[in-house]
Amino acid sequence: MPKIIIDDRDIEVAPGTKVIEAAEQLGIMIPRFCYHPALGSVGACRVCAVKFLQGPFKGVQMSCMVDAQDDMVVSTTDEEAVAFRKSVIEWLMLHHPHDCPVCDAGGHCLLQDMTVSGGHGIRRYPGKKRTYHDQYLGPLIQHEMNRCIHCYRCSRFYQEFNGYRDLGAMQSANQTYFGRFEEGILESPFSGNLIDICPTGVYTDKPSRYFGRRWDYERSPSLCINCSLGCHTIASSRYRKVVRQEARLNEAINGHFICDRGRYGFSYNSLKQRPRTALFDGQTASIDEGLAVLKQRLQAIVDTDGSAAIACAGSSRNSLETLAMIKRVSQARSWQPPAYLIDDAITAKVKTAISVLDPDLAVEMREIESADFVAVLGADPLNEAPMLALALRQAQRKGATIAVFDPRPVCLPCEFTHLPADPDAIHTGFGAVINTALDAAVVDKLDAPAREFYSSLAAGEQTFTFQQTEIDTLAEKLKTCQRPVMVCGTEIVSRQTPALAADCAALLQAAGKAAGLFYVMPGTNAFAAGLLTDENVSVETLITAIEQGSVKALILVECNPLWQFPDRQRIEQALQKLELLAVTDYVNSEVVPKANIFLPTTTLYESGGIYINQEGRVQVVEPAYRGGIPIAETGNGDHPPRIYDSQIPGVEPQAAWQILAQLIDIGQQINANDLRTDIQHWLIKSESGFNQLPGLAQIPPLGTRFFQAPNSQKHFECQQPNGGSTDDGRLEVLVTERTFGTEELSAYSACLQELANAPCICMHSSDAQQLNLNDGDQVALELNGGVIEARLQVVENMAPAMLIIPRDGKLNWQQMETGQTRIRRDQIRKVE
Amino acid sequence: METYPQILLENRKPDHINTLAEYEQNGGYEGLKATLQQHSESDIIQMIDESNLLGRGGAAFPTGFKLKTVATDAPLPRYIVCNADEMEPGTFKDRVLIHTNPHMMIEGIIIAGYSIKAEKGIIFIRPEYESGAKILERELKLAEKAGYLGKNILGSNYALEIVVHRSGGRYICGEVTAQLNALMGKRPNPMQPPPYPTEKGLWDLPTVLSNVETFAYMPHIIRHGPDWFKDLATTDTGAGTKIFCISGKVNQPGAYELPMGIRLSEIINEYAGGMLNGAEFKACLPGGASTGFLPKEHYNIEMDFESLKKVGNRLGTGAIMVFDQHTCLVDATLNLTEFFARESCGWCTPCREGLPYIRDLLARIENGDGEQDFIPILEDMGKQLWSAYCAYAPGAVAPLQSLLRHFREEVEAHIHQKACPFK
Repeated sequence: MPKIIIDDRDIEVAPGTKVIEAAEQLGIMIPRFCYHPALGSVGACRVCAVKFLQGPFKGVQMSCMVDAQDDMVVSTTDEEAVAFRKSVIEWLMLHHPHDCPVCDAGGHCLLQDMTVSGGHGIRRYPGKKRTYHDQYLGPLIQHEMNRCIHCYRCSRFYQEFNGYRDLGAMQSANQTYFGRFEEGILESPFSGNLIDICPTGVYTDKPSRYFGRRWDYERSPSLCINCSLGCHTIASSRYRKVVRQEARLNEAINGHFICDRGRYGFSYNSLKQRPRTALFDGQTASIDEGLAVLKQRLQAIVDTDGSAAIACAGSSRNSLETLAMIKRVSQARSWQPPAYLIDDAITAKVKTAISVLDPDLAVEMREIESADFVAVLGADPLNEAPMLALALRQAQRKGATIAVFDPRPVCLPCEFTHLPADPDAIHTGFGAVINTALDAAVVDKLDAPAREFYSSLAAGEQTFTFQQTEIDTLAEKLKTCQRPVMVCGTEIVSRQTPALAADCAALLQAAGKAAGLFYVMPGTNAFAAGLLTDENVSVETLITAIEQGSVKALILVECNPLWQFPDRQRIEQALQKLELLAVTDYVNSEVVPKANIFLPTTTLYESGGIYINQEGRVQVVEPAYRGGIPIAETGNGDHPPRIYDSQIPGVEPQAAWQILAQLIDIGQQINANDLRTDIQHWLIKSESGFNQLPGLAQIPPLGTRFFQAPNSQKHFECQQPNGGSTDDGRLEVLVTERTFGTEELSAYSACLQELANAPCICMHSSDAQQLNLNDGDQVALELNGGVIEARLQVVENMAPAMLIIPRDGKLNWQQMETGQTRIRRDQIRKVE
Repeated sequence: METYPQILLENRKPDHINTLAEYEQNGGYEGLKATLQQHSESDIIQMIDESNLLGRGGAAFPTGFKLKTVATDAPLPRYIVCNADEMEPGTFKDRVLIHTNPHMMIEGIIIAGYSIKAEKGIIFIRPEYESGAKILERELKLAEKAGYLGKNILGSNYALEIVVHRSGGRYICGEVTAQLNALMGKRPNPMQPPPYPTEKGLWDLPTVLSNVETFAYMPHIIRHGPDWFKDLATTDTGAGTKIFCISGKVNQPGAYELPMGIRLSEIINEYAGGMLNGAEFKACLPGGASTGFLPKEHYNIEMDFESLKKVGNRLGTGAIMVFDQHTCLVDATLNLTEFFARESCGWCTPCREGLPYIRDLLARIENGDGEQDFIPILEDMGKQLWSAYCAYAPGAVAPLQSLLRHFREEVEAHIHQKACPFK
């Protein structure tokens, strides 16, 4: 471990630590622009110059380019180094427009800080300033090239870290330009990070432009709830409105970055159409009045049909408190067991995944970055959990092999092998790879169950369509790798796949590899929902119960089944059949107008909450602000936008768990914090999956994986399904996620709506040819419930005999019968 | 006038480019035959190393040492790159070599390629040398037909393919690491080693890059031995001959092959035909635009890498630009700085922003708007540009720094007179 002296202070650092990082460990912040911990050192800006007094280097050198070594003595305050840094700042400021008063970066601008601290105050350069043309880069980012100091962070992030090529450095010398070849929307769904990493105001947040200075904002650590990864964010609010979200460093999950869905998915919080008042039978009321009516009507149903005629459904966007309270109330009132997930298959897959997520196998997302082989089984990272795609890219940049077994036309911002297996053949494909990869000598040493599992992965006998050479190439890589990770989806895969993925990981572990396992789940709190839900209970089973007449009242808690349920006709009829539909939510979803009673709830930004991500990491979010109707709305555009009142307008909504608590007559007496503690105690006491749950105060800022799979002996028990399905000439239908447009909350964001491409139906070229259809054709799918009409996208990189439909809010796709997975070719026609 | 041995330009013809047959008649490809039939890879590297051949592209890096740094167990394939970018102002020796005897450099590339087991050779040529590129493409085909390139070269197991790659046309593409980036389709920004290109060059594989002139010497070193090569120089510190490109206020500007270590005065008086009528030697740039002004006190200096280093200058590419007493050196420096400010790759701050700053101040001084304060600013920047990312900026400020060192009065005269004294 090298020991180095910086400014007369000793420090011992890990080998490979740069001097700039060693200084940071001592609390000495050497100025920097191009250096960024996630992007590394490149020595471009030259502002981190220090003087090396002793050791292998001498004189003024860049502290980001030199590894700390024994006997080094470094001064950051040496006159020569200080003078040089001052000159660098002077050079950087030669052409800067000094437009801080109208720049959104003003106040959190590294260039401002460095200019002031570097001591360059008086302009000496008599020449003219350079000017650039700015570009339109889409709805998220404002481009102001004149402010650029050419640190190259943006192009390095965008091209190297992020893997997209449509933004970068162009031209040369002091005309070097950072932007796109021509104006247009940035292609990367991680483009918002440009705003965070730009050390000045070249890239600023467009939707919140001119809304405030950083010091004006209430800034609060928050969490992204737009997919199951649970990336860390910072929410900024002002004038009773959440206006901006940035990435927050989390070494376990998202590192320094977040995706654009997460960054801009918060608009639902402050929408004008957000329902903030309780309603019953179309009349506005206070929450207490609404609750009283609800209790009364529930009692009436209990009196006539018994308490089992009442059911409650939550969703994976509920906080853990809400999920728990739904169950607690349902149990206390002897209602039906609550439903959290949309159908039985998803419920089963999520529960399986949780039960086999062995702590010895589970990996954090950041650990994937150091994997040397990643098998993605039935997951589409960029569309289902975007930041996962970025983690895969980092692994690939370090030399990992990425193999994706998925029927969809998966895109990743890195090189990977795609084996478009149909959902039933996903694990057979990967099974063949493992089977080929492991040596007989290794297999012989395995325990009997593992050996048996190994032999069930018979190579070459399965009915999948990949080339044997592809399998062999991957097997060769898998054979020599040390740290393989299985990434497994839970949405389109067959019921057995999550368990088989775990078995594969366990087998590789038994074979001596440091294997990892990582699931992607349907929704932010799907893990917690999976822990709480009963087997064979889902929204689908509740609908059946309504149809059969056994359920007469339904309470939907922040749950909009219309968004996800594939049979719109059926669910609408079921909802109509109800005697009572109560809805509590913070968005004006499609079910809100259908409700007999509506009670408004608060968002994560207003009440905080506990969320458990897909790897079982429990994370606590504190409220970002007090809530209320944005001043821009209440002020009616007046300036100053003042109204005089004794309380904040629009703070009536309560957290869903607070509302629910009142249905079992707790909650009125105790304050919110005590109630949260009470919920936690209940969880620990009553739910076996939660008995390890740490107290709120014990959960560290980065979250903690509390969860222990109940029984690690569960591996190798799953039965192999019977190969691929029989070909009856029909097309298998897969309803899937897209980065933008299919996730319910982010779909409320206007800027993201602009990014979401018009929803397309995807088909393999061989099927299109057979059906005489071309790419770009408008096609109609004639289904029982109605017609789905969309543009056809013909691709090569997907499994044949399959139709991919995005679960897009703009596409009226919910026309399928429950359980329908196939459609006949004559149900597809071209629209002239 | 003494006649020195001509190695590279021996068969230079006024009317045509040496054909393959002509080259062969004069001992062409004998060095390659000897290489493949008599020598191991390490023999070749040993000979080049002993010859003390220093890279002729300007940096004077020992060629033998460079070849040695390709580890014998380094991964394959390996690359050999010939730098024919020749963007250094005042330098035109590579062009002359291509137009005199293209096979000489081709043979050199094959020999060097063999010594490091390279599978692929690339000649990186500046776009202005389109005629040179065409000549090379034509002659490479002929060489392949004759069995000097391709598979089983001259019946050996060695195989090499050489392609011609036209540069996008920036000065910085002449820098080794920038050139490799350019070849890989990236921006031509230099990369600070380690890793060195001989370890991780093109696509992270071992790559040796040398100048046209450097390669052209190799067949001769193999044929005549390293000692013969060393003895060609007139000084102990030099080795071999050098093509000097003389331009400026002399009677016969041009490319002259002369021994390393020949005196500057002899080059100008004997070979360049002396100063123009009425012109008096004031200073010269001894090695291209990125070297400093060499004042009259060094008129008799021995032109080799060591001697120039001793007086704080560089031999660079050996392109001598001669200035007389009527030339304004502020204007000359402004002209050179203009070039360097334009050709900066834009990667690091001192070079990207400092050079235009210097250009601006020099232009003001030259136009009579200079102020006394500018001189210390220029001096500081001259020093500080040495802390730029690569060697480009220190080279770019060499004229400025030598201007302030040797011709300060001339600069001050501009400021005091509020005009250029030469106009």
